[in-house]
Amino acid sequence: MFDISTISLVLLLAMLFLLAIGMPLGFASAALAALVMFMKFGPDFLFGTFGTGPLGILSQRIYGLMTDYVLISIPLFIFMANLLERSGIAGQMYDSLNVWLSRTRGGIAIVTSIMAVIMAAMSGIIGGEVVLLGLIALPQMLKLGYNQNLAIGVICASGSLGTMIPPSIVLIMYGLITETSIKALFTASFVPGFMLASFFIIYIIIRTQLRPEDAPLPPDDPNDPKGREKTMLFLTFLATLGAGFGTALWLRVVFFTVTGQNRVLEGVDPIRLGTVDYVWKIGAFVLVCATLIALVFGKDRLKQSWAMGKGLVAPILVIGVVLGSIYGGITGITEAAGMGVIAVFVIAVLRREMTGHLLWDSLKRTLKSTGTIIWVTIGATALAGAYTIAGGPTYIANMITGLDVPAMGIILVMMLIFLILGALMDWVGIVLLVMPVFLPIVLKLPVEDLGLFGELNPRHVAIWFGVVFCMNMQVSFLSPPFGPAAFYLKSVAPPHISLTDIFKGFLPFIGIQLLALSVLLIWPPIISLFL
Amino acid sequence: MRASSASRELLWPLVFVIATGYLAWYTPRLIVFSGYASEAMVTRFPAAGALEFLALFAAIGALIMGIRTILPTPQEGTNTGVFDRMSLFMGRVTMLLIVALVLVMFYEVVARYVFEKPTLWANELSLWMAGAIFLFSGLYAMQQRSHIRIYLLYDLMPRNVQRVCDLFSTLLIVGFAWVMLWGSYNEARDKFMRWETFGTAFDPPIPATIKPLLIVFICLVALQAVVNLITDWSKDKEVHAVVDEGEIDEFVQEMGAKLTKKG
Repeated sequence: MFDISTISLVLLLAMLFLLAIGMPLGFASAALAALVMFMKFGPDFLFGTFGTGPLGILSQRIYGLMTDYVLISIPLFIFMANLLERSGIAGQMYDSLNVWLSRTRGGIAIVTSIMAVIMAAMSGIIGGEVVLLGLIALPQMLKLGYNQNLAIGVICASGSLGTMIPPSIVLIMYGLITETSIKALFTASFVPGFMLASFFIIYIIIRTQLRPEDAPLPPDDPNDPKGREKTMLFLTFLATLGAGFGTALWLRVVFFTVTGQNRVLEGVDPIRLGTVDYVWKIGAFVLVCATLIALVFGKDRLKQSWAMGKGLVAPILVIGVVLGSIYGGITGITEAAGMGVIAVFVIAVLRREMTGHLLWDSLKRTLKSTGTIIWVTIGATALAGAYTIAGGPTYIANMITGLDVPAMGIILVMMLIFLILGALMDWVGIVLLVMPVFLPIVLKLPVEDLGLFGELNPRHVAIWFGVVFCMNMQVSFLSPPFGPAAFYLKSVAPPHISLTDIFKGFLPFIGIQLLALSVLLIWPPIISLFL
Repeated sequence: MRASSASRELLWPLVFVIATGYLAWYTPRLIVFSGYASEAMVTRFPAAGALEFLALFAAIGALIMGIRTILPTPQEGTNTGVFDRMSLFMGRVTMLLIVALVLVMFYEVVARYVFEKPTLWANELSLWMAGAIFLFSGLYAMQQRSHIRIYLLYDLMPRNVQRVCDLFSTLLIVGFAWVMLWGSYNEARDKFMRWETFGTAFDPPIPATIKPLLIVFICLVALQAVVNLITDWSKDKEVHAVVDEGEIDEFVQEMGAKLTKKG
């Protein structure tokens, strides 16, 4: 009926209109999917006979999505995060981190960042993280007289890392839509994620060194161990951790050896840290740690350091279960999420925090978030399907690559579009609606033109773009007027801190995020470091 | 009070899950019993017996009882009609399904890696349950009005204009449901009547159940949108927050109590 350029234009305008009048995003997409089909095929063909016809393609697409095994990981990761946030694991972790850095300038801010990284490595969503950090760290920082902007910025910027450091629900969605390996996306985002986190910490250190009045030190506690002794205690704690987790790994290897699961087979990758020779390697490591504790550090230090640091054990355990499941070759993403739920549940039971009410409450929130995310996905899938049938993505990709614009110019324009969209709408909508159009363009660009330094492996372009997108979305959590992190923090901040104050505190951190984004753009092979 | 109300809330959803779970597997017997089944179906399955009807009545009974006894939390809103209660009840059912999904997955991982005896059924069962969870959760989210919307301009409009916008949106949602029904009714019906299975070792009837459920739930969600429109018609203008403030307040109170108790 209509040609694709008309369809594209009408689609764009109609989408803007429907979103402006406040129609739910998923249903706006779904309705527009019907509109695209209508414009492509005309009413006679579509509505010829009831019960059949090209419109059935929409339900085919949705059904295909519903039976995608990876999609199951989304409710599971949400469930896990909900359980985690409601348990006391985070609160205790803060105490355990804070003891080591209490005498450092800007210590609480650094602790907040580190805690956020650990939480980000446990769960893949944001929201609860910001609220929790706001509850725990903000009162401490304000009480000590920290600069308000610094305190706010650290909490929200670090609290948003949840989707940048694996596991990340943004990357899962991206992988699902673009059929990119999610495991590869996770691996690729490790370095950029930690780079961003370390930028935050470096910024805190530099700023508090230059302006000590921004981060006053807490009053001296005479019972607090000092300098060298604290270092010794910390080493003791590390040795204890090493011995503990080493023993767990050792038992695993022994189990594999006894049951014969780690036989070296032709064509099968050996189990990581699980082959027979590791019985000796890990065993020796545990022995060294134990000897150190027994002979060098002594029993008193063991006791004291354990009391100081034990809050870190549960988080490390959860990270071990989730990321260990993915990278230890044990399970896929979905099962790893399921194991994460079990791990958090068991820890909460052991900590005697698990109640029927907590479980029920977490389930309710999980259900709500799942419904929200999945139904946007349903609508967007229908729209992407209809638009693809109409030839849209190819048309746009040809149009853009036909322009005489350098590759990086196109990428930069895309970044700008991501940032603007990110300020106005949720990441889910962007990844679902924009990615099917943008990624084909990026894949058509000459790979040697991407970035300024280094050559990106052509097979890694989709992965790189996913990580770049994820970094963009970091900015979107903070950018006014709708940066969700600000609103999460507002709900826990003292009433005199206004939204404007909060957004003002974000400015340097948005700058840092943009810096990290430009590193990704200038030097794309950074994502291939572990791939 | 909280604990007892939670366990009371559990009863009917649990009955419903068990009964429909049984039916999900044995529905073909009911199809054969109804007399509309094809030759092939009749040779594949026996006709329904007492147990199938018992499950059917249990499911319907649990649904009715669940709708009657459900206790929406203050967070979920108390001013609810029958249809809202049905959506909330389906929410409770879905929550149980999520728990079951986690347990199935855990069982599979343990069976595969500890006992080296992977199951044939766990992966497909989780796929099947997840399909239901995805569909059901949308109804709950619609009832809770938590589907993602952009309020940037909407909140600036006078209430009457907002009403017109809502009316238009709801019409489009209903229109989409109609389009889905138009394009996919035959396929869903055929797959259900043929009891089409996944074609694997465990062979769950995923196409036979999820395809029709997809159509049914898109229609139910559209209906819920209409119910929402009617319910909210007389409401005054409200300003929408970017994040769910009530939910966060609740969370803050709980965690705040926990943190102060500890420290």
